[in-house]
Amino acid sequence: MHDDTGIGGANSRFPATQWSAVVAARSKDTAERGRALDTLLTAYWKPVYKYVRLRWNRSPEDAQDLTQGFFTELLERDLLARYDPLKSRLRTYLRVCVDSTISNADKAAKRKKRGGDAAHIALDFDAAENELSQTAMDPARLASPESPEDFFEKEWTRSLFAFCIEELQRECAARGKSVHFRLFEQYDVDDAGERRLSYEELAREHGLAVTDVTNYLAWVRREFRRIVLERLREICGDEEEFRREARSVLGWDPR
Amino acid sequence: MNKVLLGILLGAVLGAVDGGTAWFTPAARTQMAGIIFGSTIKGIIAGVAAGFFARKVNSVPLGILFGLAVGFVLAFIVAYMQHGYYFEILLPGSLVGVIVGYATQRYGVATAAATR
Amino acid sequence: MKFLSNSALERLRAGADTPDLGGTPYRLLERVARGGMGVVYAAEDTRLGRRVALKVLDLPDATGELAARLVREARVLARLEHPGIVPVHDVGRLADGRVFYAMKFVEGQRLDEHTASVKSAPDRLRLFLRICDAVAFAHARGILHRDLKPANIMVGPFGEVLVMDWGLAKIIRESEPDPGCGSEETVVELARTETRDEDSTEGSGRTAHGAVLGTPGYMSPEQARGDVARLDERSDVYSLGAILRQLVSPDNASIAAPRPLAAICAKATAENSADRYASVQELSSDVSRYLDGLPVSAYRETYLERVGRFYRRYRVAILLIAAYLVARVLVLFLARR
Repeated sequence: MHDDTGIGGANSRFPATQWSAVVAARSKDTAERGRALDTLLTAYWKPVYKYVRLRWNRSPEDAQDLTQGFFTELLERDLLARYDPLKSRLRTYLRVCVDSTISNADKAAKRKKRGGDAAHIALDFDAAENELSQTAMDPARLASPESPEDFFEKEWTRSLFAFCIEELQRECAARGKSVHFRLFEQYDVDDAGERRLSYEELAREHGLAVTDVTNYLAWVRREFRRIVLERLREICGDEEEFRREARSVLGWDPR
Repeated sequence: MNKVLLGILLGAVLGAVDGGTAWFTPAARTQMAGIIFGSTIKGIIAGVAAGFFARKVNSVPLGILFGLAVGFVLAFIVAYMQHGYYFEILLPGSLVGVIVGYATQRYGVATAAATR
Repeated sequence: MKFLSNSALERLRAGADTPDLGGTPYRLLERVARGGMGVVYAAEDTRLGRRVALKVLDLPDATGELAARLVREARVLARLEHPGIVPVHDVGRLADGRVFYAMKFVEGQRLDEHTASVKSAPDRLRLFLRICDAVAFAHARGILHRDLKPANIMVGPFGEVLVMDWGLAKIIRESEPDPGCGSEETVVELARTETRDEDSTEGSGRTAHGAVLGTPGYMSPEQARGDVARLDERSDVYSLGAILRQLVSPDNASIAAPRPLAAICAKATAENSADRYASVQELSSDVSRYLDGLPVSAYRETYLERVGRFYRRYRVAILLIAAYLVARVLVLFLARR
């Protein structure tokens, strides 16, 4: 049911012991570490790239190299060993690591040597570049200290959700519920333009009863939530961090 | 204790005291016993009246007025019998009535089966 | 991969988080607040046509531990039928597996917001007495609140007081068998949940730096130390004392509190639990006595203070008698002339 292409393993349900990429990244087993890196990479490469582009004002080419280089360094220098979930969130820690990596001296030489050999996953930098222009983020606005954090968080959430939607789509297709997914896509994912579609309109379009639309949407949203939580769990160190992150990603923030 | 009993006791005490202050008037000293006795009775009557009133009517201002009226009337009777000393008898007598009227409203319980 | 706009993110987030009340008799109205373990929503009970509050577990709960705790919170509330304790109506599980319970929807203000509008000190003290009533009731049923603070107390439009958020409550004494808890298993499970409670890190005052069970400022010293074995009614007495202090001098000693009241607060918030009031009843009866102008057990008044108190209590009677004496003296002088 769950597509296995190197994304992080077949963890579609909670196993007896929660697999965590943060923990696995410190494992002695190289295959395990590789898998951990893949998971973290999938979750974080896009926000890191966008962050490097805007916060550090690098060109797309530089940003690509820096992004790939960062993740390699993450593994090689075991940067996650120093991560303490009680002191900060993982993404804050990673962002700070990105900052320090970039501001270190002699970046150029190191980058050329390592570029590109860490990732087993195709990183679609062009797509990321497109997204940047679509969100029309004003670099000048990153001046205040909170903004980098918020920006990074938002990009990370965007990345996570997009990824989970893909997984959701695959699952729905596999279970013969493509209509369900289509409704979800139309109502929650796509931007409607002027006005959001109503349930009646959706029902008419798909030849369903309105109550079906309500039920199907409810079902898909539940599945989406489940998938988000599962993927999130993989990149958290422990239960406590996971709960905090779940609340922050999915919850309503009075901020 | 209940209001009527409170009225009786307080009226008696105040009446006796009130009567006792007649000692400061040399002219009245010879009739001290009678004055004190009469004054005590006056106080008791005022106290009983105020106590019963307080049982029926729960209002401090009204209780004071009632006490004032009863005290005044009783004092007037005494003064009339004395053929004089109206001011000396009416003023303190009315005030005793006021005190008893207030006290029976404010303190004491309305019925034997008291609810706090 | 599809690009998600910012508004799409918001919709997805809302869609994923909003509880699906299908299959329950409730209709979602709006989100109200977020507590330690769950989110509180306003909803309509479609059967009875009344507004209720739903507390829904919003944290992921792989082991079922959190669900058990929420259910336990509901069960604790169900035992406490008192006008000062928020009544619970229902408990259940949503379609997505999240556990919830339904309780009375409380309209009103939190205590800290409300007291700004209560100018009269006796009124505040009477409010405090109502809070004590509710807590004493819970203690009589063998339940400690453990998280008493102004934010957890609601005051309704008629001055009625409701003690909320019993998520950290501890059952110290099984005063009666848990209804519906007939089997041994469930009792054991409850007990296990109980111990897990102590180990758990969930708390309303929790920070990113670690687990604190309760809220600093209102939490008793033994609770702050994590000395769980020693927790009893007096921990709640401490919290109530802190609340009283807040009520009596909200700006923190800009206006000095009367000495008997200050002494009551000090006794209630004594560092050592043995020095505090032994029960909430003792605390509230001292406050009651203060309101009635009687001496309080916490404070040894000077002779002068005693006279002053006596005077205040019997002021009118004293003045009347004084008036009588003045009249008497006046009469005597006039007679002499």
